[in-house]
Amino acid sequence: MRRPLSRLAVTGAVLVILLPAASRAQTRTITGTVTIAGTSVPLSGATVSVPGTAATARAGANGEYRLVAPQGSVTLLARAIGYKRITRPLTADQTTADFALEKDPLLLESVVVTGQATTVDRRSATTAVARVSGEELTQVPSPTIENALVGKISGVNLQSNSGAPGGGIQMQIRGNNTILGAFDPLYVVDGVIYANERIAGGRGDITDAAFATAEDDAVNRVADINPADVESIEILKGAAASSIYGSKAANGVVIITTRRGQAGQNSVRLVQRLGAFSPMRTLESRHFTQAEAVAKYGSGVAHWFATDPSPYFNHYDQLYTTSNLSYETVADVAGGTERTRYFIGLTNKHDGGIERNTGFDRQGLRVNVDQDLGSKLGVKVSSVFNRSANDRGWNNNCNNFACNGYAFAYTPSFVDYKARDANGNYLAPDWGINANPMQTTDLAKNHEVTNRFTGGVSTNYDAFNSTRQSLRFVAAGGLDVFHQNNQLWSPNELFYEQTQTLPGTAIQNDGDSKFYNWNLNAIHIIHGSGFGGWSLNTSGGMQYEDRQVEISRTETENLIPGQRHVGQGTNTTGTDSLAQERTFAFYGQEEVRLLDELLLVQAGLRAERSSVDGLVDKYNIFPKISASYRVLGLMGAGSELKPRIAYGETGNLPTFGQKFTQLGTPQLGGLSGFTVAAGSGFAGVEPERVKEVEVGIDGIAMHSRLTWELTGFQRNTTNLLLQRVPAPSTGFSSQVFNGGRIQNRGIEAMLGLTPIQRSNVTWLVQTTFTQYKSEVKDLAGLPPFRPPLSGFGGLGVTFIQEGKPLTQIVGRAFDANGNRTATDVQIGNSAPDYRMGLVNNLTYGPFDLNVVLDYQHGGDIINLTQFLYDDSGLSADYGSAAWTERMKGYNGGVMTPYIEDASFLKLREVSIRTAVPRSWVSRAGLGARTISVGVSGRNLLTWQRYSGLDPEVANVGSAAIRNNLDVAPYPPSRSIFFDFSVGF
Amino acid sequence: MTTIRQVRTARRRSHRVTRLAACAVVLIAACNNFDVQNLNAPTAETLTEAPSREVLARTAIGIQTQALNDRGGIIQQWGIYGREGWNLLGNDPRETGEEIRGPQDPGGRAGGIWTGQYQAIRTLNVYQAALANAKALTPQEVKASLGFAKTIKAWHLHLLAIRSGPTGIPIDVDRPISEPPAPLVSMSDAMAAASALFDEAYADLQGGGSSFPFSFVPGYTGFTTPATFAQFNRALAAKLLVHRATFVNCAACWQQAATAINQSFITTAGLPASLKLGVYFGYTGAAGELSNPVSEAMTSDRYWVHPSIITGAQLRPNGEPDLRLTTKVALADDPRTLNGLTSSYKPVMYNDPVTLAPDLGADIPWITNEELLLLRAEIRWNTGDKPGAISDLNLVRVNAGGLAPTTLTATSSDAAFVDELLYNRLYSLMWTQGTRWIDARRYGRTAQLPLDRTGDVVHPNMLIPSAECDARRLKVPCSIGS
Repeated sequence: MRRPLSRLAVTGAVLVILLPAASRAQTRTITGTVTIAGTSVPLSGATVSVPGTAATARAGANGEYRLVAPQGSVTLLARAIGYKRITRPLTADQTTADFALEKDPLLLESVVVTGQATTVDRRSATTAVARVSGEELTQVPSPTIENALVGKISGVNLQSNSGAPGGGIQMQIRGNNTILGAFDPLYVVDGVIYANERIAGGRGDITDAAFATAEDDAVNRVADINPADVESIEILKGAAASSIYGSKAANGVVIITTRRGQAGQNSVRLVQRLGAFSPMRTLESRHFTQAEAVAKYGSGVAHWFATDPSPYFNHYDQLYTTSNLSYETVADVAGGTERTRYFIGLTNKHDGGIERNTGFDRQGLRVNVDQDLGSKLGVKVSSVFNRSANDRGWNNNCNNFACNGYAFAYTPSFVDYKARDANGNYLAPDWGINANPMQTTDLAKNHEVTNRFTGGVSTNYDAFNSTRQSLRFVAAGGLDVFHQNNQLWSPNELFYEQTQTLPGTAIQNDGDSKFYNWNLNAIHIIHGSGFGGWSLNTSGGMQYEDRQVEISRTETENLIPGQRHVGQGTNTTGTDSLAQERTFAFYGQEEVRLLDELLLVQAGLRAERSSVDGLVDKYNIFPKISASYRVLGLMGAGSELKPRIAYGETGNLPTFGQKFTQLGTPQLGGLSGFTVAAGSGFAGVEPERVKEVEVGIDGIAMHSRLTWELTGFQRNTTNLLLQRVPAPSTGFSSQVFNGGRIQNRGIEAMLGLTPIQRSNVTWLVQTTFTQYKSEVKDLAGLPPFRPPLSGFGGLGVTFIQEGKPLTQIVGRAFDANGNRTATDVQIGNSAPDYRMGLVNNLTYGPFDLNVVLDYQHGGDIINLTQFLYDDSGLSADYGSAAWTERMKGYNGGVMTPYIEDASFLKLREVSIRTAVPRSWVSRAGLGARTISVGVSGRNLLTWQRYSGLDPEVANVGSAAIRNNLDVAPYPPSRSIFFDFSVGF
Repeated sequence: MTTIRQVRTARRRSHRVTRLAACAVVLIAACNNFDVQNLNAPTAETLTEAPSREVLARTAIGIQTQALNDRGGIIQQWGIYGREGWNLLGNDPRETGEEIRGPQDPGGRAGGIWTGQYQAIRTLNVYQAALANAKALTPQEVKASLGFAKTIKAWHLHLLAIRSGPTGIPIDVDRPISEPPAPLVSMSDAMAAASALFDEAYADLQGGGSSFPFSFVPGYTGFTTPATFAQFNRALAAKLLVHRATFVNCAACWQQAATAINQSFITTAGLPASLKLGVYFGYTGAAGELSNPVSEAMTSDRYWVHPSIITGAQLRPNGEPDLRLTTKVALADDPRTLNGLTSSYKPVMYNDPVTLAPDLGADIPWITNEELLLLRAEIRWNTGDKPGAISDLNLVRVNAGGLAPTTLTATSSDAAFVDELLYNRLYSLMWTQGTRWIDARRYGRTAQLPLDRTGDVVHPNMLIPSAECDARRLKVPCSIGS
C-alpha cells in the first residue's frame, strides 16, 4: 500500500523540480489601485490576476498593486474576500488599471478549503459549502459559536441539550452516522485541531442519576472559543470535502479562521454589551384545597393553609428569575505594515443564569501576528488564551431530589420554598421528599473552570513563481491544551444529604487535554493554453497528530461539617482514565482545470495509520474524487450554473481502548486481584468508514443578486463499530467488532437573495433547508439492540433495528383494541423531518436590522417531566379529561401519551443597530472615528407544539444518538442586550 | 510461495523505510511509537506475555474473588426453586411467577448463574496458560498454583453441571473467542471431567511444596498451604462423587467418595465447635469490596422463610424446635403476603445474632465439617456401613440441632434413611447452596417439595441462556442434542 504512494510522491517531486525549467514568456508590468466601491478606502489584500496564468499580485496597504503579466492583451481579474469580483480586458499597451469592488453580501467570492493547504474559489467548488462570516456570528451575543450558527447554515442540525448557561450543544452534520463511535464533528481552529471533549463534572454521582455522570449536561469544550475572534466558519459536510481529515472526519469538519490584521488598516474597536437573561417558559402544577392536601399528605401539611386558603406557588418562578446583569466587553486592535500585521483581541464576558447562583464567564486574549520575511517567506502565528467558568446548577435526571425540576414534580404547589422558620432556617420538608431546591441552590456548588491555550504557527514559502507556474511549501503546526476543573460540594446540612448514611459529598474532577499536530505540504500549480486553457494543481504532504485526554476524579463522602474539600471526608474514592491517540498520514491531491478553467476535477488520496486501530502499522486509504462545470451566461449576463458531483470516503476512529481486553481488579480482604473482564477487546478493530456520493446544482443569477445551492447526498457508513454478545461460555459478555451499515440520505438547500442593493440600502435574505433520513441497513447478524445511554427502559428508548431509522424511539403502545402491545413498537423518531432557517438583513443608511428565524418540523420528544408530575399526582391538569387519557398510558405502561411533537419556530436573533452621525461623534470629543449603538435579543419568541419547557433538550447530551429525553432540564431563557461600540 | 513470516518481514522493512524517511524529513514526532498502551487498567497481555510473580499472585486473588460469583443467585434462586424461601419484595413479578410457576425464561432468570461461572473459568484458563510460561515461579510453586487453579475450576464445572442437569454444558471452553463455541457435553460427562480435574489437582498439590506463591482472601483460614488445600480439594471431590452417584448413577463413585472423604478435613474431634471447620466464601463489606449478597435487615421485604421450614422442624427433648432452625430464622414484626404467598419469618443466619442487624461481612459456608459428616453418612449407608452412617447422622443431629439421636437402625429402609438424611441436610445447609432443590433432584423427590398455589411447579433444572443458544445458532431453548 505504501509503495504506490511513495512512488506518487517521488513522481510529484521530480515533476516539481523539472517544470520550472520550462520556457518563460516575455512579461510586462501593470499597476493600479483597488478600493471599496463608493469610497476611497484602499482594499489591502485584494488580488489582481490574469486568469489562465500564474500571474497574481496582492494589493498593499495603500491598495496599490504591481502585476507582472504576459505581453499582449489580457483580461484582469480583481477580487477580495467579501467583495464582488471584477474582470476587465486590457489592451496590449495599457499599463494601469484601477478597480473599485462592491460588497459581496452573499459571499460569492469566498474560497473553500480543499486540502490541508489548498483552497478553491467557491464559484468552482465541487462540494456543498457552508460558510458563515464572523460578522454574521456576532450580530447578537451568544454564549458559544454554535448558538450563533443556528439558522444560518444548511445540512447541519444544531440542538442545545438544555438552557444552562455556557453551552452544551450537539452539532450533527448530515445526520447520525455512528452507534458506538465518536459523534462530534472535528474542529480545526487556524489549522490547529481543537478538542471538543465533553468532560462530565460528577454531578450525577451526587444526584444519584441513572446514567451517573452522563446526565451531567456537560459543556462541549468548543464553548471556549470566543465568537468575537472569529473571522469565518466553514463547514466541510460531505465525505468528499472532509476526506482530507481522514479517519476523524466522518461527522464533518468545522474549520474556524480567526481575525487577522490588514496592512495599513490600523483600527481599535471597543464593544460594550449589557443585558440580561430571563426565563422563556415555566410549568404549572396542580392546585390544592386544604382538604385535598390533607387527604394526600396527612394533617401535617395543614399549616400551609393557615393564612391563605388556596396557596399556590409556581416553583419555577421561585427558582428561575431574570438573571443578574450580564455583560460582554470586547476590545481589539488590528493593523500593521506591509511586512508585519497583527490582531490583538481581548474579551470579558459574563452571562447570568436564570437559576439562582448559576452563570457563565469567559475571558480571552488573542494575539495573531503575520510576518513576511523577504519576498518569499511568510510566517503566521496565532495564539489565544481563554478562561471559561460556569455554574450550571442542579438539573436533569436525579434520584434523590437534589435536582430542581425533579423536586418540583414532587412538591405540591401549596409549598412555599422560600418559607423559613422563626430562626430563619429552611423548613424541614414535610411534602414527601427530602429536599428543598431553594436550600440546594443556595448551598450546593457545581463550579467549573477551564483554562486553555491554543497556538499555531504556519510558514509559507513561495519557492518559485512565474507567469506559468508556481511552487509553494507550507509547514504548519500547533497545539491545543486545556485543563478543566470541577469543584462540586453538596454540604452535610442539605435535606437530601441528611438521609444518606454518609452525609456531605465533595467531588473534584480534573480534565487535562493535550492535542498537537503538524503538517507539511508542497503545492505546485501550472497553467497551460491548450484545450482552451487549463491548469494543474498538484499538492501533497504529511500530517501527524497526537491527542491525550486524562480525566481524574476524586469523590468523598461523610464530610466534616462546613468543609468542602475532598480531603475532608471519610469515604474517599478516586478514578483516573487516560486516552491517547496518535495519527500519521500521507496525502496527495490533483486538481485539474480544463476548458477555459470552467471544468474542475479534483482527486485525492489520504493514507493514514492510527494508534487506536488494531493494526497500528496498517495504513487506511481514504480516496475522494469530484468535479464541477460552470455554465456561464445561461440565465443572463454574469449568471452561472454549476452542476457538480463528488464521491469521497472518510472514517471514524475506534475509541481508545476498544482493542484491549482489560483485566478487572476486584478487591477483597484488602487484597487486589486480576480477573479477565467481561468485555473482550478486538485486536483487529478498524475505523468506521463513510462512503458518500453528493450531487448538486448551484447558481448565480440576477447580476449576482441571487445565488443558490442545492445538494442531494447519500452516505453509507460501513464497517460500523458494533458490540456483539458472544457465547457467554467464552467467559465474555460483549465484544466490539466491525460490521454493518447505516445509510443517511438527504437534501439541503441554500438560497441567497439581495432584493435591494443600493448605495444606502441593502436587503439580504438567506434561507436554508435541511432534510435527511437515516436507516439501519445491516447489523451484521446482530439482533436489534439498545445502544448505550439510549434512555430509560420501558419509558421510550432508542432502538437499533434493521430497516428502521437510527433515531427511532420504541416503547409499548396501545393496539387497535386499546390493549397494551405485547412488545415494543416504534412510537417516535427523535430526528426532525426537516429544518429551515431564514436570515434577513436590512441596512438602511446608518441603520442595520438583522432577524434570524429557525424552524424545525417534526421529530419527537419524550416528555418524562410530565411523566414525573403524573407519577406524583401533581400535574397541572390533574383530573381533567386530558389527564384521564394520559393516565391510561401511565397506568398501563404505555408511553405514547408522553411522546410529543418537537416542532418549533424560534425567533433566534433580532438586532437593530445604528451608527451615530459623524458630526455627533466628533462633537463627543472622544477621538473616536465611529460610534454605534444597538439592541439585540436571542430566542425572543418561540412557537411550539410541545407542552413541556423546550423541545430542544437532551437529558443525555453525551449519547451518540440524541434521544430528545426531557427530564426536568435547566429551563430555556431569552436574552436582551444593549450594545455600544466605538471605533478609533 | 511467500510465507507469512516473509510477508511480515517485508512489511516491517518497508514500514521501517517509511518511518526513517519521515524521521529524516521531519521532526521526531513521526518516529513516535504507535503501540500506545492502555494505562487505565491492566490488559490481558499482562498475563499472556511473561507474567511476573506479582501478576500471577494477583490473578490467583482474582480467581478467589470470582469463586464468589453468583452466590446470591444460587442461595436465593435455588432456594426459591427448592422452597427454602421466597422473594416477596414485589418489584419483579418473576420472583413469584417464573421462578415458582414457570414457564422458565432462558433469556432471563432461568438462564442465570452461567455467565459469571464461565467468566471465572476464563480467568482460570488464562491463569493456567500463564503458569506454563511462568519463569518467575519455581516448578513446585507452579504445581501448587496449578493444583489450586484446577481445584477451583473443577468446582465451577461441578456447579454448572448441577445447574443445568440434562441440558448439558460446554466444558472445553479454553479457546479463542473467534472460534465456534465449545460443544455441549452431558451432565455425566461434565461431572466425570470435573472429577478427573479434581484428581489432577490433588496430584499437583502433593508435589506443590509447602506454600503457595500467593495470598488468600478471607474464608480459607486453615487451608492456605498446598497440604491443607489438598484436604479442601478432597472434600469438594467427595461431594462431587456423591452427586455423581446419585445424579447420574455412577455406582463406582460411592467407593471413590469414601476414599476421598477420608483424605479431606473431616473430623469427629472437637464437636460441636468443629462442625464449623471448613472453607467459606469470605466477605468483608468494606468500601470497594464485596458484601454478603443475601444479608438483609429484618425490615426488608425481600427474602422470606418458606413456612414448611418452620413447620417441618423436629423438636428437641425440651419441646423446642431444632437449634438449626431457631438460630437461623427470626419472627418478623409483620407477616408478608404477596401474590398468595405468606411468610412470617426472615432468615437471619447472616445477621448479627443479637441485634439481627445485617452483617455485610458475614461469610457463607462453602464446605464445612458439618456437611462432610452428612456426606460421609450418605457414603457409608451406600457402601454397606449403615451403623457408621447412623452414627455420623447423630453427630450432626445432636451437636448441631440439639436433637435426640435418630430412631433409624441398620435395618431401616433406604427411603427412611433418605428422609432422615435430607431432613438433616436441609436444616444444616439451608440458605448456603440450594441444597433442598438439589437433594430433591438427586433422589427424584421434587414432587415431594411443598407447592403453595395451584399451578406452581418445581423446575427440574436451569436452562442454557438464550445468548448461548443464539451464538450457537440453535433454537432457544437449546440443549445437548438440539
